[in-house]
Amino acid sequence: MDKNFKQTSRAGAVAWLLQRISAVILFVLLLLHFVTYHFLTQTRSVSYRQVLERAQSWWFPLLQFAFLVTALYHGLNGIWSVLEDYTHSKFWRLVWYGLLVTVGVALLFVGTLTIVKLYTMKLA
Amino acid sequence: MYKRTRFYDFTYYNFVGSWAWILHRLAGLALIFYLCLHIWVIHTLTYGERTFNDVMAFLSSPLFKLLEVGLWGVILFHAFNGVRIVIVDFFKGSLAHKKLFVALVAAAFVLWALGSFLLLRHAF
Repeated sequence: MDKNFKQTSRAGAVAWLLQRISAVILFVLLLLHFVTYHFLTQTRSVSYRQVLERAQSWWFPLLQFAFLVTALYHGLNGIWSVLEDYTHSKFWRLVWYGLLVTVGVALLFVGTLTIVKLYTMKLA
Repeated sequence: MYKRTRFYDFTYYNFVGSWAWILHRLAGLALIFYLCLHIWVIHTLTYGERTFNDVMAFLSSPLFKLLEVGLWGVILFHAFNGVRIVIVDFFKGSLAHKKLFVALVAAAFVLWALGSFLLLRHAF
């Protein structure tokens, strides 16, 4: 076996399982997200007031944060499993992995900021 | 025996499962790219009512409604083929994975048509 694969062999099994668990969660959350945000809108687009009112109910930050974390994990881990098939050198794997983690942390920050801001903003 | 197709430097066989595999990956990569954009765009909605209305007006144009219809299609394909993957991995889905693929893609297609109607009813 290639020495490069030793360190990832066990992590791969956990990632495989987590990818499927997050998939099942996302299946439910994403379809609900589409139904509530895209299909059940009565007008061409939602209004500022509608968004803020929904964003300030107690369940919104919890659900959206769970959605954000699950989607980011599933998506970035998905890219990682594609990259693992095409990248074989330790150096490039480390570069890609670092890039994915950086993107993940940055988007988690931006997304959390959005949720918190919407929750704490005052309704005019 | 089987017709061989080529994708870049890898060789795939013209099986239902190979097409499901490559399309699932491409759809997944498209979706994580979209998720990054989505988190960033939604963030701009917190800059106040005026920015919100400008962004929403831009995103409710017929072009974006059509892109939304495409997005809904990619999501459904990835989600329903994902269900097939979970059934194959955790249950005895491998015994009928081709039939599962056809049935789930058909279900996805019905939901795609239904959702597209709901998305486009206010668009034009």
